Amino acid sequence: MTQLDVTVRREDAYDLLLVSGPVNSYTFTEFQEKVFKSVAAANVIIDMEKVTTLSSAGIGVLMAALDDAGAAGRKLALLRPSEIVKLALDSTGFSERFPVIQNIKEF
Amino acid sequence: MSESSMRRGAMRQSEATLYLGASPTSVFALEEFVDSLDFLGRRERERLKLAGDEILDNLVRHSAPLQGGGITVRAARRGDKIILGFFFRSPGFAAFAASCGDPLPLFDPNHRRWRGIGMVMCRNLADSINLRPGSLLDRIFLVFHPERDEPDGGPWRQRGSALRAKCAGGSRGSSTELVGK
Repeated sequence: MTQLDVTVRREDAYDLLLVSGPVNSYTFTEFQEKVFKSVAAANVIIDMEKVTTLSSAGIGVLMAALDDAGAAGRKLALLRPSEIVKLALDSTGFSERFPVIQNIKEF
Repeated sequence: MSESSMRRGAMRQSEATLYLGASPTSVFALEEFVDSLDFLGRRERERLKLAGDEILDNLVRHSAPLQGGGITVRAARRGDKIILGFFFRSPGFAAFAASCGDPLPLFDPNHRRWRGIGMVMCRNLADSINLRPGSLLDRIFLVFHPERDEPDGGPWRQRGSALRAKCAGGSRGSSTELVGK
């Protein structure tokens, strides 16, 4: 069983969440917990280069986190999303809501 | 015996079958199964994995208890179509198929979750979704078009988000088709 791994690095101006593995209906709660915790306190960059799948539950977490960040006057961006992440986001019709960056300097 | 088992290439080179238990952890076996389908290209596998995960999650969460406790998943390339089929038996599936519609995703503030995103994904990832309640077996078929691995993402990007749903009846033996556009 491939596990999800979410590592949080606290930088001065943002939290960097390094995500690898599947964000699916079984693993999304761990993803949700760490994303929501960071968004409640900081600007957030979510590195999704090593994400192997992204389910609707995971996309729902990202949408809620984006709303929370906006309401709190913070920023959230997706860093280098993998091809399957881009496909998942595009399949919802909401992909343009998500700021995508290829380099942390763009944040 | 583990909760899932795989039979690959036993009959046809372009078909594979997976037997799953009705458990939330079965999603990992489905993902591994789709990743192993070497008769599909990478982008084809990605579409099957995303849509298949959503279907399986809905079955495990909303169609339980599944009689016999299991789900058979079959992936096949048939000419110019790719088919992902789910075979199971659920007493609640006919009612679910009858109530299908075209709901828009909504935010549930009580649970801080968006609802309805998964079905939108399936409709946009697949060319059609066919829900077929049956007297002996319930079936769901997702049909995809073949897709070359292109760096620009391929033809699905031009499909847009406009959707139409055709709901025809819902009693056992009828068929409901959800069509992406």
